[in-house]
Amino acid sequence: MAKTKSIVGESRDIARAIDLIKLGARLQVLESETKLSRERLLRLYKEVQGKSPPKGMLPFSTDWFMTWQPNVHASLFMNIYRFLDKTTELEEIDAIIKAYQLYLEQAGSHGLETVLSVTRAWRLVKFFDAGMLTTAPCTKCGGHFVVHTMELYDDFVCGLCHMPSRAGKTRAAAEKLAA
Amino acid sequence: MNTATMLDEIRDANLTYLMLAQALIRSDRAQALFRLGLSEEVADMVAGLTAAQILKIAASNMVMCRFRFDDQVVWNLLTGHGQSGKHSDRAVSGVHATILMSGQLAEAA
Repeated sequence: MAKTKSIVGESRDIARAIDLIKLGARLQVLESETKLSRERLLRLYKEVQGKSPPKGMLPFSTDWFMTWQPNVHASLFMNIYRFLDKTTELEEIDAIIKAYQLYLEQAGSHGLETVLSVTRAWRLVKFFDAGMLTTAPCTKCGGHFVVHTMELYDDFVCGLCHMPSRAGKTRAAAEKLAA
Repeated sequence: MNTATMLDEIRDANLTYLMLAQALIRSDRAQALFRLGLSEEVADMVAGLTAAQILKIAASNMVMCRFRFDDQVVWNLLTGHGQSGKHSDRAVSGVHATILMSGQLAEAA
């Protein structure tokens, strides 16, 4: 990895890394989006979060985004991200950070759990970049929802217009109800 | 409501709106575009207004902000009408409305 030469560039990377760490990003995201060394990122992570970053592989499956609840959240994030990407000149990672903050606000204002982590949101954008995922318009409401690329969506109806009967009935939701 | 109070209230609403818009744009331009639903050009213009200009614009018989969508589907989701129990969950229809609105915003941009 090329060492950063510019001090301005480095300070921008640090600010970005801090934003991402605050949002709960995994170390792999930071390594791929900034030019800071692993050692410095580790130190930064400990300073900001007060603990060592979690270890292990990143979630890598596109299928996770297809299940009902994650799909709703992913679609919400993607619609916000697309708007920012289209209207502003932000670099991709900055657009992800800003879109994710807006997503958190939205989820919070509707009293929803934040199902989509910033690491997942970042993967989602990468899956779009790689052409593995795309959006399809729902024939009923016209909204754009995250789908696999290589499938046919002529009569696509989104998970919100046609809710599966078990939608949202997670164990966590049941426990909340019982409590 | 008589005409004088009406004009007063329009001016107040305009003033609040323009000042909020300016504050939003200055604190985070990109996110403000999303929050306000403005184009970059308009946002730059609003951000550059002086206090005197804002006062002048606000004192009008026209309201300076308007509804962002004229879509029946979005309206129904926001108000919770015409859902025949399907969207029993208010949070879910709120998110649905947001997806539609931000999608339309991205398309128009």
